[in-house]
Amino acid sequence: MEAAEKYDFSAVRWFSIAAVVYLVVGTLVGFYIAAELAWPVLNLDLPYTTFGRLRPLHTNAVIFAFGGSTLMATAFYSVQRTCGTRIWSPGMAWFTFWGWNLIIVSAVITLPLGITQGKEYAELEWPIDLAIAVVWLSFFINFVMTLVNKKTSHIYVSNWFFLGMLVMITYLHVVNSLAIPVSLFKSYSLFSGVQDAMIQWWWGHNAVGFYLTAGFLGIMYYFVPKQANRPVYSYRLSVIHFWALMFGYVWLGAHHLQYTALPDWTGSLGAAVSLAMIIPSWGGAVNGMMTLSGAWDKLRDDYILRFLIVSLAFYAMSTFEGPVMSVKTVNALSHYTDWTIGHVHSGALGWVAMVAAGALYHLVEKLWNTKMYSPALVNLHFWLATIGAVVYITAMWVSGIMQGLMWRDYDEYGTLSYTFAESVAAMMPYYKMRAIGGLIYWLGGVVMLYNVVVTVATAKDRQA
Amino acid sequence: MSTEKEMGYFYTDWASMTVNDWVGLIVTVTVALVLAVAYFLVFNPKNKEQLESQRYLVDGVEGEKFLAENSIHGENK
Repeated sequence: MEAAEKYDFSAVRWFSIAAVVYLVVGTLVGFYIAAELAWPVLNLDLPYTTFGRLRPLHTNAVIFAFGGSTLMATAFYSVQRTCGTRIWSPGMAWFTFWGWNLIIVSAVITLPLGITQGKEYAELEWPIDLAIAVVWLSFFINFVMTLVNKKTSHIYVSNWFFLGMLVMITYLHVVNSLAIPVSLFKSYSLFSGVQDAMIQWWWGHNAVGFYLTAGFLGIMYYFVPKQANRPVYSYRLSVIHFWALMFGYVWLGAHHLQYTALPDWTGSLGAAVSLAMIIPSWGGAVNGMMTLSGAWDKLRDDYILRFLIVSLAFYAMSTFEGPVMSVKTVNALSHYTDWTIGHVHSGALGWVAMVAAGALYHLVEKLWNTKMYSPALVNLHFWLATIGAVVYITAMWVSGIMQGLMWRDYDEYGTLSYTFAESVAAMMPYYKMRAIGGLIYWLGGVVMLYNVVVTVATAKDRQA
Repeated sequence: MSTEKEMGYFYTDWASMTVNDWVGLIVTVTVALVLAVAYFLVFNPKNKEQLESQRYLVDGVEGEKFLAENSIHGENK
């Protein structure tokens, strides 16, 4: 039976195209706000275009618009392929697509207007939070019911990772968003003080841990073997990777609150479990990379595979860096500095966006039954993404460590050596360098969008 | 030396443990034990073939057919 008859990929196609569009839009906003820090005149003296209002627009666009569309496309695609069955409800998949996009439009309108809960990665106000819960549940139910109808004897590991993400993000979103509305666009968190901070970072780090890690590992465990055309290196390692990640990640949020009002032991526990998480994270990264064992030559001319494998190198790097930064001694230097921004972007640009790009290129070829219009442009995108990410990350590492060292430096009389303004002035060259890195990365996204649009538009002609 | 200080890190006032503390402690210890059991089961050589055969499920039904046709591993024999 033809794949087109056996499965239903109609919503998957739209999610795939939307993901590429949101990659370009989200990174463009990111580039603009990076430029605002380097050249403050770009704030335009308008409240709607200030860094403070556009920054959450950037994070919501890249995490929820780009990341969410990618996750929904890849999860709905791979669950059908690995279970040998059609999606449970194509109509509900369309509901998820339009609902998710409506939420994104709501974010684009409300965030520049300053309508926000002020909680990082959970800025959207309570009516939108309710909509997120409903749409997310439609994704969850459709995925689970497709699994229930599977024609295979076991559930393949990529589905376990997607399922872990779906369960945990539901739980995290509901608890972190508990709030008392005081008007249509204003609410206050149900929690207060240090409890509110702890709940916020329990959500904040697990948005990284389950949404941007577990979900994208689901992508990795399906798309790396498929693109490499060989099974994953070790299924046993993937099982350990899954369970250790599920049980370990939930503890890490406390490491965001070292040296605060949070009890000292809580931060120490967060750091200890963070360090323990290096083991499953590296196990997973090695598992993905070693899938190419004996076939490394494929990397020479398969540019899509390059995205997938290099993303794993970034995954390994950022999952080592994160635990190191969570240790109190290092955290005393790194906290509140640009080092954190560099770390986040090594994960976001290097791991999440590159594994997503690899998966989306693979999807476009399969969904439109063709090859990419220009493999050379895929290669160009790969190099722009790699160089852009490295320039960005390096700028923030240098800037962040310099910031930390300047803030803690004092003279023989115990007086601080530098004012805060002096540390800001010292960071300016690195802010410009970061904006250039972001621009290069964004250009890569534009190249991808052009290549994907032409591929889709000419797919039928080129099949003939 | 600072043995007393170091021992202080391990001191616990059990009498002041709240219900939340006990729930947290029990969940933590249980999860650690379950993970230890998971490591043992997954890396037990007896379970290797059965678990590794599932690698082919990346190809869904075709993967299962491949396992059956080639009499590969565990319960897919």
